[in-house]
Amino acid sequence: MTYLVASALKNDLAAIRQASPEMWRQVRRYNLPVQLALAAAGEVTNASCDPSALAVVSLAPCQPGSADLYRWGQVVTSGMAQGDLGDTRMNPTQTLHAVDNLAMSAFAISQGNQAYCLGLGGAAGQAWAGLEAVQERLATGQETEALLMAGDQDCAEDGASGIGIALLFSASPRPYTLRGQLVRLVAVERERRPHADACVPHAAVGLCSLLSAIAEHAGGRLTYEVPLEYSDGVDAVRVLMEVGR
Amino acid sequence: MNAERRVVITGMGALSALGATPEELWRGLLDGRSGIGRVSHLVRSGISVTTGGEVRAVAHDRIDRDREIARRAIADALLAANCDAAQCGFIWATGLDTFQAGSDGFVHRSAGLCFTELASRFANPRRMIAAACASGTQAVGEAFRLIRHGRAEMCIAGGSSVMLTPFYLIGFAGLQAVAVDADGDEPSASCRPFDRRRKGFALADGAGALVLETLAGARRRGANVLAEVVGFGMSQDGFDLNRPCDDGAGAELCMRRALDDAALEPHAIDAVNAHATATFLGDLAEATALRQLLGTDWKRTPVSGAKGAIGHAMAAAGALETIVAAYTCATGIVPPTVNLDEPDEGCELDHVIGEPRDADARTVLSVSFGMGGQNAAIVLKRTSL
Repeated sequence: MTYLVASALKNDLAAIRQASPEMWRQVRRYNLPVQLALAAAGEVTNASCDPSALAVVSLAPCQPGSADLYRWGQVVTSGMAQGDLGDTRMNPTQTLHAVDNLAMSAFAISQGNQAYCLGLGGAAGQAWAGLEAVQERLATGQETEALLMAGDQDCAEDGASGIGIALLFSASPRPYTLRGQLVRLVAVERERRPHADACVPHAAVGLCSLLSAIAEHAGGRLTYEVPLEYSDGVDAVRVLMEVGR
Repeated sequence: MNAERRVVITGMGALSALGATPEELWRGLLDGRSGIGRVSHLVRSGISVTTGGEVRAVAHDRIDRDREIARRAIADALLAANCDAAQCGFIWATGLDTFQAGSDGFVHRSAGLCFTELASRFANPRRMIAAACASGTQAVGEAFRLIRHGRAEMCIAGGSSVMLTPFYLIGFAGLQAVAVDADGDEPSASCRPFDRRRKGFALADGAGALVLETLAGARRRGANVLAEVVGFGMSQDGFDLNRPCDDGAGAELCMRRALDDAALEPHAIDAVNAHATATFLGDLAEATALRQLLGTDWKRTPVSGAKGAIGHAMAAAGALETIVAAYTCATGIVPPTVNLDEPDEGCELDHVIGEPRDADARTVLSVSFGMGGQNAAIVLKRTSL
């Protein structure tokens, strides 16, 4: 069984900096999607029995990088055109912004976590593969809790907005902190219905939409039809959940 | 879920610095040949790193080079296995975004978009793996797990990367991870895993694709079984973003998990296909972890790494090295670690140096350790039908 225990959404770096200087100290050198994902993950781990033993499924941003990284990319572009890149150096911090699994690694370091981890890349619709992976992993019984985390941004430019999201699941029944009731993930169903043109590549926004549906649901069986724009361009996805009344 | 099922490899495709087929990769390794060389478009750009493992089969300025390299490896694997994409799940790592010089200027292509373009003709599950340098091995391992537990009947697994661009070479040079040009260096010897003179890896482009399916399905189809996958393990170091733990604890943990998954003891391992990047700290940590894992058997368990010959193709590396491990299982032969002449202090292992070794290796451990502390290991076995 897979129960949703806690969730967190983050979209305001200033608020994170003010509310949690320690968290800000840990994440400040990362790029926006990673900062927001880690802040969200940090919040839900408060509800975890043992954050060092969680299975971790982490979604890389579909809009990776940072404004700093792409500015540097422009330097390389013009240097290449002139055949003069000999003295060009890269700030190692910006190199990190290109790394796909940065949030997962940073989370593992902060929590001393060496448990199962699965990093899923920044392709559209991988969030639902992440939910499937959480369910599969908890079914093995090798961990009792699993974290699904994601962060993404509208674009990698100065002033971009982003969302970080984290969902904590448990293999044993525990109430979802935001409702005080059991919320069980029953299944993720798929039906092939190609629609690539409709996709919005964003790692976090689809999961936000799912949480909204859970929050608004009166109770009982919830059949959440994932909007096609949040899917992978191939499947229509349906998330079945059981929400306590 | 179904009871556990046996999973086998029935098709492979590889584009690497040693050629555009798995056979060329294997033959080059047996010959002790390095495919790493001076890359002309890097020389023209004037950067301080101009060597790498180039895939010559696809033009370097082709705008969809990332997709084309992957597409060719995948097509070859499907052809070899005599199956169709629509029958297969797709567990693939497209690595980092591609930044390259195209014929019309600078090109940035998202790794996610590349995955989406490749994935659409495949069945479920379709998962994009993102675990840095461990991605290829993790993709093969995840496909193995999905098939073993009945979530899929057949998958294409592997990875692809286009890394030989100034963008990444300058970035990795800043991390002191790649071998920077020096006077008198022979380009083909720039990557020297475990060697006293090692100074980092040579970046590379590449793609490795494997068809995995149930043994029962392979028998029904009359497919050619190349090797059996019997175990998969992964771990995170949880230690540092840029360097491994000195004692190799995270690497050792993932290897032990792979062996536990395979219900094997360390002494059952006949050969190790090492990550072997030729970075100073990485090789030390890996050698330490292997000695701890193997106990006294480390002196008689042959170890070989492919990156001295093909460079480090990041998301493709683990998949290409799984292909090498499958050949070792099938033939019993362990290829030499190209460019390893004098093992460094702290890197002591039963290295295969100079010539391939006929070790009658039937069970092979293949490992990958990624930046950020992502570790993955799989165990392959010669198939007993």
